[in-house]
Amino acid sequence: MLTEALLIALWAGIAGIDLFNGLTHIHRPVVTGVIVGLILGDIKTGLIAGATLELVWMGMVPLAGAQPPNVVIGGIIGTAFAILTKQDPKVAVGIAVPFAVAVQGLITLLFTVFAPVMHKADRFAEEANYKGIEKINYLGLAILFVMYFVIAFLPIYFGSDAAIKFVEIVPKWFINGLSVAGGIMPAIGFAMLLKVMLKKEYVAFLILGFVLAAYMKLPILAIALIGSAIALYDFFLNKNNAAYREEEINDGI
Amino acid sequence: MASNYVDPSNDVKLSKKDLNILAWRSLLLQASFNYERMQAAGWLYGLIPGLRKIHRNKQDLSKSMKDHMEFFNTHPFLVTFIMGIIMAMEQNKEDRDAIRGIKVATMGPLGGIGDALFWLTLLPITAGIGASLAMDGNIAGPIIFLVLFNIVHFGLRFGLIRYGYYTGIKAIQQLKEGTKQISRAASILGLSVVGGLIATYVNFKTTAVIKTGEAKVKLQTDLLDKIMPALLPLTYTILMYYLLKKGKSPLTLIVITVLMGIIGKCFNVL
Repeated sequence: MLTEALLIALWAGIAGIDLFNGLTHIHRPVVTGVIVGLILGDIKTGLIAGATLELVWMGMVPLAGAQPPNVVIGGIIGTAFAILTKQDPKVAVGIAVPFAVAVQGLITLLFTVFAPVMHKADRFAEEANYKGIEKINYLGLAILFVMYFVIAFLPIYFGSDAAIKFVEIVPKWFINGLSVAGGIMPAIGFAMLLKVMLKKEYVAFLILGFVLAAYMKLPILAIALIGSAIALYDFFLNKNNAAYREEEINDGI
Repeated sequence: MASNYVDPSNDVKLSKKDLNILAWRSLLLQASFNYERMQAAGWLYGLIPGLRKIHRNKQDLSKSMKDHMEFFNTHPFLVTFIMGIIMAMEQNKEDRDAIRGIKVATMGPLGGIGDALFWLTLLPITAGIGASLAMDGNIAGPIIFLVLFNIVHFGLRFGLIRYGYYTGIKAIQQLKEGTKQISRAASILGLSVVGGLIATYVNFKTTAVIKTGEAKVKLQTDLLDKIMPALLPLTYTILMYYLLKKGKSPLTLIVITVLMGIIGKCFNVL
């Protein structure tokens, strides 16, 4: 079982990276199902379990940054237990739920602790140290890989009951608190952007954009189009004025 | 034209090969994703070979890299279009404010378009076809899914970087006059988008309920939303802006935010 568990964990690590990076979608259950089936020597059940779980996750996609239940762990552990326990994959996926939740918690943690790392990246950028920037990104990939590897390995090697104890080490209040903080944190990113962009003469447009989104519930594309309309109007008005002034000066001479 | 560059020469051109390298690197856009800057460091990772070729002066390279570490978030497939436009602007040594304005103005709308096109259209269709075949035990299911999906995915990724780059170069040639006016227009556009992003991206709501005798007042829906929608996101962003201006480091702001989140959750008000 150790070899199979290690191979599945390896695949979970790769698929976990693909969920955010690469995005070739080898991480979808319809693909991971057949790979897990191949590792456990039952391709046919793997295919069917993967397809079933694919339909479960259809529509559960990352919209506007909100994270749905983890599709990688759900698909892989769901398929593995469907094959190992000869259960219906829809029932087997229930075993994956605590592990999918654990991965989500760890991802929340990762996205929070990586915020301070950005200030290291700022320093690298200032020094034009491009290798430093590259290393920070590779570090992110490595952490993702290890996380998925461990979480997929535990239930398959130790059995789900024993493994649940491992994943419940991190207290819920901590992860939930981080997740709330994570939702607010873009405010810091925007504040830093405003620090360099905002000048008195532009405050009006910041207010406009906010009102269009908050009160009128307009999508960002609509706001960008309205912003473009004003920018174009302003641009040509300035240009014509400049041309007009030039003409005046020429006439004067 | 390029008062803010040490080396204002704009004779470097990016070849097709250069653009392809950038498109490959765009695959790691979210490698260092985090809540504060989101895709910023991954975005910079993608641009690095292009920036190094364009900015041969180290000070210029440093300035440009610093700018690209600012908040960035868009759809991971359509990002190469923005990369193309920004590379055209960097190569022409456009005003840094104009580059920032265009970047900020394109990332938001493309994010929304991408979600609708890929997660709600392309993925369900291709995965649906794959799953229906796999359901009958047909090994072609996953293969057909991967092929169909990735033809569109990589076609767009590599096509859009070229499209963005050549569109950018053409637009710059037509807009030769007035760097100041272009920066101004880009800032107007950029800040309207940032205003909208503050209202939509910052997720700050209170769950607090105030009990006064018999009556229960839900702070968020009964009070705050009636004063102004997205009041908390706006107030908090302005507070952060104010603290930054006061010289507080962003790290301090992160610590404050995390503590507030954890404590607020424990007391059941967030």
